[in-house]
Amino acid sequence: MRYQEIVMHVSGRVFALLSLLAVALAPLPAVAAELPEIVCIQCHSTMPGRFGEPVTLWKGSIHAENGIACNACHGGDSKDAANAMSPARGFLGAPKETAIPAFCGRCHVGVMRDYLASAHGKALGKGGPTCVTCHSNHHVVKASLELINEKSCSRCHSFERARLIRDAMQETEGMIVAIDGKIARYKEEGTDTEGMEKGLFAVRNRFHTLFHNVDVALVKKESAGIQGDLKKIQDQLTALDNSHQKRKIAGAVVVSAMLLLALFTHLLRKTYD
Amino acid sequence: MESSGRRTFLGVCLGGLAAAVAAAVTWPVYRYLAPRSTATTAAKVEIPEKDVPEGEAKFFEFNGASAVLVRKRGDGLIALSAVCTHLGCIVQWEKDQQYFLCPCHGGHYTAEGVVISGPPPKPLTKLPFTVANGVITVG
Amino acid sequence: MALLKRLIDWIDVRIGAREVVAKELTGYLLPRNINTWYSMGSILLFIFVLQVVTGILLLIYYVPDADKAFKSVTYIMNEVPFGWLIRMCHVVGSSMMVLVLLLHMISVLFMNSYKSPREFNWLTGFILFTMVQGISLTGYLLPWSQLSFWATTVATNSANAIPVVGPYLVEFLRGGKLVGPPTLGRFFALHVALIPAGIVALVGAHLFFLQRTGVSTPPFGLKDTTDQWKGDGYSYENHPGGIPFFPNYALEDLRSIFIYIACFLAVVFFDPYLFFTRDAFLPANPLQTPAHIKPEWYFLANYQTLKIFPSEFIGLAVQGIAMTFLALLPFIDRSPERHPLKRPLFMACALGGLLLWIGLSVWGHYS
Repeated sequence: MRYQEIVMHVSGRVFALLSLLAVALAPLPAVAAELPEIVCIQCHSTMPGRFGEPVTLWKGSIHAENGIACNACHGGDSKDAANAMSPARGFLGAPKETAIPAFCGRCHVGVMRDYLASAHGKALGKGGPTCVTCHSNHHVVKASLELINEKSCSRCHSFERARLIRDAMQETEGMIVAIDGKIARYKEEGTDTEGMEKGLFAVRNRFHTLFHNVDVALVKKESAGIQGDLKKIQDQLTALDNSHQKRKIAGAVVVSAMLLLALFTHLLRKTYD
Repeated sequence: MESSGRRTFLGVCLGGLAAAVAAAVTWPVYRYLAPRSTATTAAKVEIPEKDVPEGEAKFFEFNGASAVLVRKRGDGLIALSAVCTHLGCIVQWEKDQQYFLCPCHGGHYTAEGVVISGPPPKPLTKLPFTVANGVITVG
Repeated sequence: MALLKRLIDWIDVRIGAREVVAKELTGYLLPRNINTWYSMGSILLFIFVLQVVTGILLLIYYVPDADKAFKSVTYIMNEVPFGWLIRMCHVVGSSMMVLVLLLHMISVLFMNSYKSPREFNWLTGFILFTMVQGISLTGYLLPWSQLSFWATTVATNSANAIPVVGPYLVEFLRGGKLVGPPTLGRFFALHVALIPAGIVALVGAHLFFLQRTGVSTPPFGLKDTTDQWKGDGYSYENHPGGIPFFPNYALEDLRSIFIYIACFLAVVFFDPYLFFTRDAFLPANPLQTPAHIKPEWYFLANYQTLKIFPSEFIGLAVQGIAMTFLALLPFIDRSPERHPLKRPLFMACALGGLLLWIGLSVWGHYS
């Protein structure tokens, strides 16, 4: 009798432990399969030195983030290893210095036109900068005002004129960055930011493209119009801020009402003791 | 009896506040269910026909975004949204080639807004319009 | 009011309403030492009703089609008046339901109320627990966001480890080799129709067993805390000298519900995105897996358990065994002692198990 009791007690406790060990059911393992890499990356990522470097550089770029791979710029066949670099499949290789603007300009049309019309563009092939000079070729990141800096610009001339144009752009850039941050935060709450995101993207691009004319007077002239467009987006954000503030106040009211209801119920309960 | 008096008072407080809360709950649910007024139509925009010669495009603002009217060679009038379906830049009309080009990433569209090449995933949205007495009314 | 009395009389002579009220409400006597934990069940009922109501409201605007689902939810959140409120109530409510259910289960466990003759209650409760997990999992997919899509992929993948039928089971769950429109179809049917009906049926059974057996007395403040049940014949557990359910415990339950609503609304209005990540607001992209996919907080312990064991099958088996023990607890633990402080070994194991679950969840969150 005693022995049976002991066994029951012990097993009861052991099982109590094990049962609490995994309180919930649905198991969740592994990771989904990754998509196969294109042939360009399959080969070049294994190569040493300057043949393998572009892959690592590209992986940290905004192109990689948006699914723009090697063949988008260099042409060729991304699925057929044997003919990947065949001119018959449109392979262009690495462009010569003077062909760089046209190379990037196949997609970045607006910027190319502004650049070619500018002092920078007119100096192409005569010691002037190409796209790659400031933006690099594989590690291309989201453009910001930081690209206009002393180290980069003073390679060819004094930083003074670069500083002028950067100062002219500073205020507007600040507004853009602030709005971008706000939109990102609202997006995290399920707000439909698509319209605002597109609007901001268009304005931001128009503004950054402007730099490529390298014309301070033009920048100043266009800034007013651009800031006006930014203000429209800012107004939408302010309206959102206001409505969210109202929600918080409504929240405070209902929570207080509930606590008050709980209090009344409690007091009423006490009268029955 | 003191207890009974308190009970009634508390009962009234409880009932009253509960009724107020119930009303406060009914309002949002009613608004949620009520049919939406279709008065969310945008203000119409009127443009004189002569502002859109053959082979040319006129850009204007419609419903808070950029839009364009194009008169193709062979006299076909079209109203489209000028917002590129890729990332939102405003497309440009290339008069020599009679197509739309997006300056941001080189998206090409026909005069009808159909994607020819480049990253745009969808065609440009068509806008409704009518023509009467030499005036084009979009919307 | 004379009119009111006449109305009640009219109903009473037809269905004996006064008799029912006397038996179930004002004459239903309960022990005096019933504590707040006993309200958890009522709170759960309230939560479930609210989930059904908000769910039906959402059904009006939600479209269960893979191409339109995400947009319809965005529409509810941004365009429909108070749509954000209905949706966030439903989202926060689902996490609250799991939380309160765990509290309910833990309190029953610690007060040893699962013991004979209440095995049916524990079993139906356990089935309800799995159903609530199921309804949460299926509901998770419906917004068709990156988070929905990939969390469901990971969750359904786990069935792969089951020997023989595993891979086929995964396909069956998904309606195809990968998560896609067929998955949405079946998960929607489960979430909106089958599982809620199942929950209603089992809650009915759970309450019936409670009614039939009688409420258990908390083991606190009593001289003799051993289980008195003999098992020789059916008898309803009376509490003579107790206090009536109505108005006493009805008011206590109401008070607990109001406090719950206050906490619930505080979350809904001030931090509703507590349970969301960025991926919850990006439309599903079958070609791009986000960097860190994690399941909801209540599945983190399972997730981490599977990561610990080298073999997925062992990870699954361990959890399966544990759940089975939990389900069969009243049949395994037959000791008549009910007071938790008089059962040091049981308490050590139970608390240890609970801390282990919490630890695994936290680890799962940070890993």
